[in-house]
Amino acid sequence: MLDYQVFHTIPWGMRIAIYFWLVGASAGSFVISSLGWVFGVKKYKPIALPASITAIILLLIVPIILIADLGKPERFWYLLRPDFWHASSPMAWGTLLISAYPGAMLIYSWFVYKENEFQAKVWGILSIILAVSTHWYTGVVMELNPSREINHTSLAPILFLTGAFVSGIGFLIIVLFIRNFFLPADKQVGAEMFAGMGRLMAWGLVFDLFLIFSEFLQMSYGTGDEIVALKHILLGVFSFQFLWLEVIFGIIAPLIILFSSFGRSLTGIVAASILVDIGVLAMRQWWTIGGQYLQTYFQ
Amino acid sequence: MPERSFGLQAPPSLGAPGKKRYAMVVDLRRCIGCMACVLADKAEFEVPLGVWRTWVSVRTVGQYPHVKKHFLPRLCNHCDDPPCVRSCPVQATYKHEEGFVLQRYERCIGCRACMVACPFNARHFLPKKRSNPNLPTNVVDKCTFCFHRVSQGFAPACAQTCVGRARIFGDINDPNSEVAKLVAANSTIVLKPEMGTKPQIYYIMPNQKSMSQEVGLLEEPADVKEDRKAHREHFGLYF
Repeated sequence: MLDYQVFHTIPWGMRIAIYFWLVGASAGSFVISSLGWVFGVKKYKPIALPASITAIILLLIVPIILIADLGKPERFWYLLRPDFWHASSPMAWGTLLISAYPGAMLIYSWFVYKENEFQAKVWGILSIILAVSTHWYTGVVMELNPSREINHTSLAPILFLTGAFVSGIGFLIIVLFIRNFFLPADKQVGAEMFAGMGRLMAWGLVFDLFLIFSEFLQMSYGTGDEIVALKHILLGVFSFQFLWLEVIFGIIAPLIILFSSFGRSLTGIVAASILVDIGVLAMRQWWTIGGQYLQTYFQ
Repeated sequence: MPERSFGLQAPPSLGAPGKKRYAMVVDLRRCIGCMACVLADKAEFEVPLGVWRTWVSVRTVGQYPHVKKHFLPRLCNHCDDPPCVRSCPVQATYKHEEGFVLQRYERCIGCRACMVACPFNARHFLPKKRSNPNLPTNVVDKCTFCFHRVSQGFAPACAQTCVGRARIFGDINDPNSEVAKLVAANSTIVLKPEMGTKPQIYYIMPNQKSMSQEVGLLEEPADVKEDRKAHREHFGLYF
């Protein structure tokens, strides 16, 4: 008690974690939207427009959160000033991506609405590249901080993209499910479509589980700081978010639902989607805050 | 000097002939933990409550009657390859060619990417309200190695006030300077050399045992945990 201690706070908090979730869900929804028009899976064509509109709406919330998070919100346009632009900063590139991505999606959605096959494909390819890059960037911006042991792994962008894929499909399933109540019976999204999306989400979850296992394995055989990180964060402060919300409720429970007979019913798929979305949000939270939390121990 | 001349990171000047590279040696054998450096720094820059440009980390080791206190004065390492500079999206932070890592408040947007990038927690975020309205708020701030003093031939406030002469400041590229002589004659360490940032605060350790005590992540004693909890309740976990 007589010792004078100095503690530090965490620079990036919950707003950044929510932003990662929003960009991820947006990219995941857009992947489903592009399946029909870009990759030629005809079955998904009818939901291309609601999927891309969901993606656009999710992404339009992002700048509001990010600008509100700045210390000087009125200076946000400095990020776009060519004379201030700094090529070695991941955030400078991220700004370009976040600015370009909704625009490309809007043009794509317009051509999908007009059913212009060629233009929709061209803009769809551009948008899907931007969607993946925008979400890849969120992994990169956390990864390129060597002192944040948890975040500093080249798996980060892949983990983020897998989370984006599953949370995007999950969010889209919930949106389409609610949308069905407002549509006449002949225009509703069929059970077959939901089952297809549920299947895609299930395989995404399997891959997610594999990535988390790889990361866990590497950290448990890692350097001193990595082992401390594992102990303090994954099994200590953030074990509720990591172990319970992400792994058990966010991955294992939905997997059991989706691969059981309950997962063939619409209720099962929607329940799994809700669990997956909560799990991915929890992952964004411990991933963002956890790495920095451990850093505050360095005095 | 024109705005853009050193907007991007100045090249590393450690050991470059004809260039100055300011550095600091902290002789832990001489530090008595009086915190005069912290106070001098607070006074020099009107550093607000809850944040520090420099601070002294204290650890009590051993058990009664063989108890010792270890002190570790901390400040920005003014790295030769600073990660904060490369992370800033608007070039608000830059490395001066003589080694100072400085902040341009009029450019900073407060995104805190530099704080996330710094392995040493050397940066802090200024609060919304300050007692002096002319000072910047809501932007990131850091130790400047007292650029305003050094450029006029004075030592930094913390080095100037240090009663034990534990903090010694100078040009490490000049072989006749005190810092260069101390680094040459003693076994020194820098914090977290594995981060590859080439820190320019050299520590002379009091003994071999304390090296492992001072540096790195450790299990905290119960009283420190309590203090940490109180701090979090007061200031919150994150910005």
